[in-house]
Amino acid sequence: MKQFDLVVIGAGQGGLPAAALAARLGANIALIEMGEVGGT
Amino acid sequence: MHLVRDRAYEFGVRGIDPTKIWFDLESAVARKDKIVQDIVDGIYGWIKPNNRITFLRGQAEFTSPVDIRVDGQQITAVKSVIATGSRTADVQIPGLAKIGYLTNRDALMLQKVPASLIVIGGGYIGIEFAQMYARFGTDVTILSRSPLLMRHEEPELSERLAQVLTAEGIDVQLGATAVSAIKEGPHKVIITEIDGQAHRFKAEEVLYAAGRVPRVEGLGLEQAGVAVGPQGIIYDETLRTTAVNIWSLGDVNGGAMFTHRATYDGPIVALNAIKDAGRTVDYRVVPRAVFTQPALAGVGLTEAEALAAGYEVKVGTALFAHSGRAKAIGETEGMLKFIADAETGELLGGHILGPHADILIHQVVTAMYNKGTAESLYKSIHIHPTLSEMVKDAAKKLR
Ligand SMILES: Cc1cc2nc3c(=O)[nH]c(=O)nc-3n(C[C@H](O)[C@H](O)[C@H](O)COP(=O)(O)OP(=O)(O)OC[C@H]3O[C@@H](n4cnc5c(N)ncnc54)[C@H](O)[C@@H]3O)c2cc1C
Repeated sequence: MKQFDLVVIGAGQGGLPAAALAARLGANIALIEMGEVGGT
Repeated sequence: MHLVRDRAYEFGVRGIDPTKIWFDLESAVARKDKIVQDIVDGIYGWIKPNNRITFLRGQAEFTSPVDIRVDGQQITAVKSVIATGSRTADVQIPGLAKIGYLTNRDALMLQKVPASLIVIGGGYIGIEFAQMYARFGTDVTILSRSPLLMRHEEPELSERLAQVLTAEGIDVQLGATAVSAIKEGPHKVIITEIDGQAHRFKAEEVLYAAGRVPRVEGLGLEQAGVAVGPQGIIYDETLRTTAVNIWSLGDVNGGAMFTHRATYDGPIVALNAIKDAGRTVDYRVVPRAVFTQPALAGVGLTEAEALAAGYEVKVGTALFAHSGRAKAIGETEGMLKFIADAETGELLGGHILGPHADILIHQVVTAMYNKGTAESLYKSIHIHPTLSEMVKDAAKKLR
């Protein structure tokens, strides 16, 4: 089973910058999106 | 199209045969699709090569505070961020689901301009689509349950906006509650209650734009230990939920459902989750705008809200009709209204209806962020001839 430091659910307007900065801070991230990236 | 024709004539363009111009929605939608695709491609462009980010496509559901299922696959999350946004509120109008309606998403994908359209909802989504389709040539009716469009904005300005839309040919019905929907031949009929009387509004299409709600269903929030309140997910000032290892941000938290709020929240959550930085959100000053023409923008309190909060207020107003720049660009409709604390002079709110209101409001935003008075707005030198001079003007008139 895969383990991540941070899982971001939703690659929309807020999830994307959260994932981007967390990655820059060195975390190992899963970004989950059920639709299209970018959000609503 | 009449607008393009009339404006072109006003600005001295000659030789356009009014019978020979038309609007091709398919081309406009294709242009929009290309812009959206460029943005989406840009996002994949930085996600994919980032070796710290694993992108998973699917619907996520918590099975415990640290376990998440994504379409059958199970992963472990030391920490999580819920950034699932919002969705159109459930339709409460009997018959509407049966006869079919458009959401904002559908309304951006039509291939043909409908002859007539009923917009249910007097919020920004409803109003923006109403004006857009009216300008495409559709006969538009807005049914707003509230007696004001944009019911949280300064009434003086939203009343003016309603007048502008009415003058453009939109049938703006205020205090109009849609109660049921039926099909009549090729048309959709919305039975609507206005002042206790039943009225019928008939159109080819119906756009349902009556509010958005946090997207919390199907996420397994109970298993995660994340509590949800009437507004959305319950969070503290560091955006942490009731589960110690889970944060939430943006629309799913309720309140100000705007992109600029979600993009503000994102980095704060990252710092708190990864660096335990203890950053707190500062939502004192969150501006908003309606992208109609003229645009409506606001920040802080309305006059009535300031009075209700116990302030003694000073009010300053100015009209775009008095701006040389507004005259030059032919957009003189609108006004500014600023509110300050009479005792300290601190700016409490700014409201602008007019050309580029969405840009102009930021002078008030920065002043308010610094807990400033209007002095910096009216004592600083503003470039002539700009619309920004009107901000200075309204600030100077506070009394
Ligand atoms: C028609 C319309 C016009 C708007 N215009 C403006 C505007 O002019 N200015 C402005 O500031 N705001 C505007 N907004 C609001 C703005 O779109 C939102 O405030 C913003 O997108 C919120 O960002 P978010 O990250 O919270 O959610 P979103 O950007 O919606 O992202 C959420 C993402 O999560 C995904 N998701 C949800 N559940 C799951 C799950 N279980 N598993 C995996 N993925 C999931 C969704 O597919 C989505 O991609 C508008 C909204 C609409 C509908």
